[in-house]
Amino acid sequence: MEIYIISMCVVAGIYAVMALGLNVMWGMAGLVNLGLVGSAAAGAYTSAILTKTFAIPIPLGIMAGAIVAAAVGAVLSLVTRRLKEHYLAIVTLGFAETIRIVASNEIWLTNGTDGISGIAGPFRADLTPFQYNLVYLGIVLLVLLGLYVCCQRISYSPLGRVLRAVRDDDMVVSVAGKNAQSFKLKAFSIGSGIIGLAGGLYAHYTSFISPDLFVPLLTLYVKLSLLVGGVGNNRGAVVGAALIILILEGSRFVVPFIPYISPAQGAAIRELFLSATLLIVLRFRVTGLIPEPHDHPVIPRPGTATAGTSIKAF
Amino acid sequence: MNRREFLSASAIVAGSLCAPGILRAETVIKLGVLTPLTGAGASDGPRMVKAMQAVVEEVNKAGGVIGRSIELVVEDDQTNPEAAVRAAQKLVGVDRVPVIMGTWASAVTSAVAPVCWESKTCLMTVSGADSITQLPHQGYIFRTQPNTALQATKHAEYIASVGAKKVFYVAVQTPFAATMREQIASVLTAKGSSLVGGLIYESNKTSYRSEIDSAIAAKPDFIYLNSYSPDLTVLLKDLYRAGYSGGRITQSYAYTSKVAEGIQADVTDGLITVQPSSDVGSEAYSLVQKRLSNPAADSYEAQATDWISLALLAVQKSGKVVGTDIRDAVRLISQGGGTKVYSAAEGLKLLQQGKDVNYDGASGNCDFNEKGDIMDCRFRYSAAKGGKIELIKIV
Repeated sequence: MEIYIISMCVVAGIYAVMALGLNVMWGMAGLVNLGLVGSAAAGAYTSAILTKTFAIPIPLGIMAGAIVAAAVGAVLSLVTRRLKEHYLAIVTLGFAETIRIVASNEIWLTNGTDGISGIAGPFRADLTPFQYNLVYLGIVLLVLLGLYVCCQRISYSPLGRVLRAVRDDDMVVSVAGKNAQSFKLKAFSIGSGIIGLAGGLYAHYTSFISPDLFVPLLTLYVKLSLLVGGVGNNRGAVVGAALIILILEGSRFVVPFIPYISPAQGAAIRELFLSATLLIVLRFRVTGLIPEPHDHPVIPRPGTATAGTSIKAF
Repeated sequence: MNRREFLSASAIVAGSLCAPGILRAETVIKLGVLTPLTGAGASDGPRMVKAMQAVVEEVNKAGGVIGRSIELVVEDDQTNPEAAVRAAQKLVGVDRVPVIMGTWASAVTSAVAPVCWESKTCLMTVSGADSITQLPHQGYIFRTQPNTALQATKHAEYIASVGAKKVFYVAVQTPFAATMREQIASVLTAKGSSLVGGLIYESNKTSYRSEIDSAIAAKPDFIYLNSYSPDLTVLLKDLYRAGYSGGRITQSYAYTSKVAEGIQADVTDGLITVQPSSDVGSEAYSLVQKRLSNPAADSYEAQATDWISLALLAVQKSGKVVGTDIRDAVRLISQGGGTKVYSAAEGLKLLQQGKDVNYDGASGNCDFNEKGDIMDCRFRYSAAKGGKIELIKIV
């Protein structure tokens, strides 16, 4: 039981990293990206190929994966520079499929649909499965914490403010003398890079990747995480990811207690749980469980903290 | 509902989810089933589950295995490697099953395999990709689906048996195209015919005229078309236009009804199609038909029956519900000099009397080589005639 809980925490952590990346694009800059598995695939494949073929250390491989994914994100942003909202969503969806099909066909590089197996994991050979999962959980939590701090910094930095302005009205941003396009490109690269890093983490955790891994299902789970947690909120991204894994996995233990259903119906009910969660959250908390904050976590907004005293003064 | 209420409600739900595992008694033997119940494999997964449940019911009625009854823990692999890994981790981590049966897509099997061998759990699968049994799985993988080498061997034997002397190999670019060619060549040579040439082409072209010309230049009397449906249509038409009148063989999955509808019957007449078959006519297969009340039980149902039967017999043979012991016991009950048995219930009875058994299954005789691949399997050969498929034979 413990090893299962630990391994699910690892997966939740990786989902959370992806949700953080998506939050930079979607939550902060308002860029709807349905192609985040494409970025994850770029990161995972880069790291897997580099560590396997060129035997470079795993951390460097994952970093390289993140950089390649960031570059891919930048290219995608340039290609889609005239697109917004639904149009952008459709094109990014197509982009992810393109990456998947390239990975299926460029057999010399990616080993095609057979996938790449035996990807190295940190100290994997020397540890029992239990210890390995524990070590990996530590790594994922550290990475998650680091990225969370970075994303919080971005969120409250001048860059974050401009990104939110781009999201709310990029015309106004342009009028204010900022190049909205370059900020969209930054958001896409940063977000895509973070997601690529998560892809690398996943590849080294399970030791196997194949094109079939990077299908829209994963995109939707991550998107759902952010939606449930709270779009535009980094804490929401992490909480949402944990909650989605809790529902996905928790439903396994509920379904066997429903009488008179076949396993196939049980599997369908599990999917139903997930959609019901989405509906409930969207009905009662449209901003997600933890909505986007309007105040800086440390520095109070001028006027709010002193509101009480100022009222007295008048 | 505010956030605090929502979170505490979620926590209560989450907590209650953990209860069932604690309440359940541990006297039954739990075996893991991981099939696609949603996603691309959803048409095959539920039937495989039913086939396994039917065997379990039969065995439980007859008294179970080593005095304990059997329970299948079924999880959905969603035909997705990521979801499948989570499901497998639940099966080995929570239910502590010694064996997982039923992975269908090759990517899913490859993803789940490391979880299995690291936790010393057997994995029984129907996935076809050759790379699967080449993984460092320490013997934990058993595959009842013929791999490419076995398919190539059987196809080549058939081609030689119909008297073809000069065979040409035409294949779409796939990971297994080249290895298949080598295997076919060596089998043909051993049987007194020869492979006069071969080419690997790119899929989805609108004409294969140049490929066909170079094939016909080698003057073959038989052409092996290892193609997918869209290409097969074009290839058959180009062959017909070039006036080729020799034999042609292709995989059944390529010659679909859609292909048949798209081409005139004179173009396809005489085309041989081949697919792996369950051991139709065997005693084990007729038991499957009876057990499932389905006279047309297919290869997946047959293989599912064989996995659960092998697992149960291996548990009885080793006397333990441990993955490593099951791995070591499978070959003791699937092959060798023991009494031939055709169902788990029958084999268990003999094993309980201390006799040796050799399980011959519904999908074939279930003899495994050291890599976990089956060594022999039946194939169904059919011929196209007037746009329809007619069975020639199953060998």
